[in-house]
Amino acid sequence: MLLFKMMKRAAVLSWVFLLIACEKDYEPVLSDNALVKLDIPSYFPSWNGYAHENKPTEYGVELGKRLFNDRRFSADNSIACSSCHIQNYAFADDNVRAVGIKGREGFRNVPPIQNLLFMKFYNWDGNVLQLEKQPLVPIITHEEMDSSVLEIISRIKDDEVYKRLFTKVFGDAAVTADRIYRSIAQYEYTLISAGSKYDRVKKKEAVFTQDEERGYEVFQIKCISCHNTALFTDQSFRNIGFPVNPDRNEAGRARVTGLQEDYMSFRVPSLRNVEYTAPYGSFGQFATLKDVLDYFDAGVLDAANLDPVFKNNGNRIPLTEQEKNDLISFMKTLSDNKFTGN
Amino acid sequence: MKNLKIYFLLFVAVTAFISCENNDKAVANNVILEFDNTFKDKTIILGDATSSSATVNVSASGQAHHFSELKYVISNIRLIKTDGTEVPYNINDLDKGAAVIDQSRPASLQYVMHNIPAGKYKQVKFGLGVKKELNTLDQMRFPIFYAIAGANDTKMMWEWGTGYRFTKLEGYYDADHKEMSVHTGSTVQGDEGDYIQGVDAYRDIVLNLTVNAVVGDKAPKISIKADFDKLLSGKINTIVLKSGQGAEDNATPNVHTAVQMIKFVDNLGGNGSSDLTGMFSVKGTEN
Repeated sequence: MLLFKMMKRAAVLSWVFLLIACEKDYEPVLSDNALVKLDIPSYFPSWNGYAHENKPTEYGVELGKRLFNDRRFSADNSIACSSCHIQNYAFADDNVRAVGIKGREGFRNVPPIQNLLFMKFYNWDGNVLQLEKQPLVPIITHEEMDSSVLEIISRIKDDEVYKRLFTKVFGDAAVTADRIYRSIAQYEYTLISAGSKYDRVKKKEAVFTQDEERGYEVFQIKCISCHNTALFTDQSFRNIGFPVNPDRNEAGRARVTGLQEDYMSFRVPSLRNVEYTAPYGSFGQFATLKDVLDYFDAGVLDAANLDPVFKNNGNRIPLTEQEKNDLISFMKTLSDNKFTGN
Repeated sequence: MKNLKIYFLLFVAVTAFISCENNDKAVANNVILEFDNTFKDKTIILGDATSSSATVNVSASGQAHHFSELKYVISNIRLIKTDGTEVPYNINDLDKGAAVIDQSRPASLQYVMHNIPAGKYKQVKFGLGVKKELNTLDQMRFPIFYAIAGANDTKMMWEWGTGYRFTKLEGYYDADHKEMSVHTGSTVQGDEGDYIQGVDAYRDIVLNLTVNAVVGDKAPKISIKADFDKLLSGKINTIVLKSGQGAEDNATPNVHTAVQMIKFVDNLGGNGSSDLTGMFSVKGTEN
């Protein structure tokens, strides 16, 4: 009888174990690992849907930040995520095109990492829809870190600090690819820039100067149809006739969608902290904001799928010198020095 | 009653165990899939730009071309018995059920499948490429296939799309040996609301065997022809190669551009509906 009872227990137990083994991504939320309280203005857009499944936690963010700054992610231990995503540049850098290990050059400009919690599409062509799926790309890309996730795991798994943090976040010290991706994403979700002068004006805690005010008025007439919402991007993809990247891998969003109308279209970039993210354009075509505005004023390249904003207006956005200067003054009110540490 | 309960629980435990495993516990018998990569009926010989030995093909629109590199991924292999039963072969395990066919490596042209249940088989199905559920470059889950596909001399990965390359064809065309480079792969990433982003370049191939394969004591060999003449002169698209930087140009800036890619995909692997064979056909079965 006793034997039967034991057998029965063993059977139940083994069944439960197997069920767990078959289950994927089972991650318990630990009670002493509190959710991070995020300070988000009411006028910001809603979260990316996937973020609800990976809400930033206190230790998750600490772990993610540590991983983000860990040079062991690159094949030769020379660069971390933070080597290209530098806080002072709103987590972008000042290179024309991204530079990876051994000086290898990518084919696009490093995008800033800010307000990703609210983005529906990531990267210039929007190929990634879920932030947790992004970290693998730079890890394995030849022109970036040129490593692999198993290589990284083997390098960090015996690190005592990581063992402690992984245990605090996930319940045990196992370092897995998914856990790495989730932690980095949690950290990135907390990189929210909402403390610019513009935001203070919006909350009636500050007022624009005359230049800024005039710039804001021009902005609302000539820019806002694309640089819309509190993020200053409507997250649409448009071909605005910028000089074309000579790299043969470049096709803009068409690379992702296979649609002719997306050829050389890119996501409208956010203008927050735009003062710190020069050079501008998908491969750093423009050194300064003035250069960009001069280009719009002079006229852009024609294309079959050139955005109607240009197509219907003689392929340009006419701007006087005064308007350009005012616009730049306004754009600088989108700088968040607490966020960038400048 | 108690006994019954125990047996039931044991049964559940065992089934759970099996469902975690792959269903390859049956009779130990091999089936070989042999791939003959051709231009029409001629087996392809690879060569560099000015090679005199490389097999040259002329497309329907008159463009001479030859290859220096020819690779593709097969996975999701299923064998269908004469009674219609479908026998999947490690279809959810890339380490055990997927392969890179590489014309420069003769050993890769024969894919040996183990432990196929005895019986008569009338049809083979396989995927050209990797179905989207598994196409995630998951090194933890499939370290063996990840290593094979990612090897420096193989390069069957699309890092930016975190997926595998499904075909990789490098070569030269026209009298002046202009470079051609056709890479295919999926860019499907998931959903954004109701919108499913990207193109799925995976194609399911269905081939009827001319002679049934008899699995039992011997290891039958199914010979499959992959006729790369179809790349440019396909059942679905007649393609004219054009070098340049525009959206219409397909010969070289086609490395990662989904716009032109899907025409090549449909020619090689069919369109998934009216054409389920693409460039593939069965040459014969040796029992």
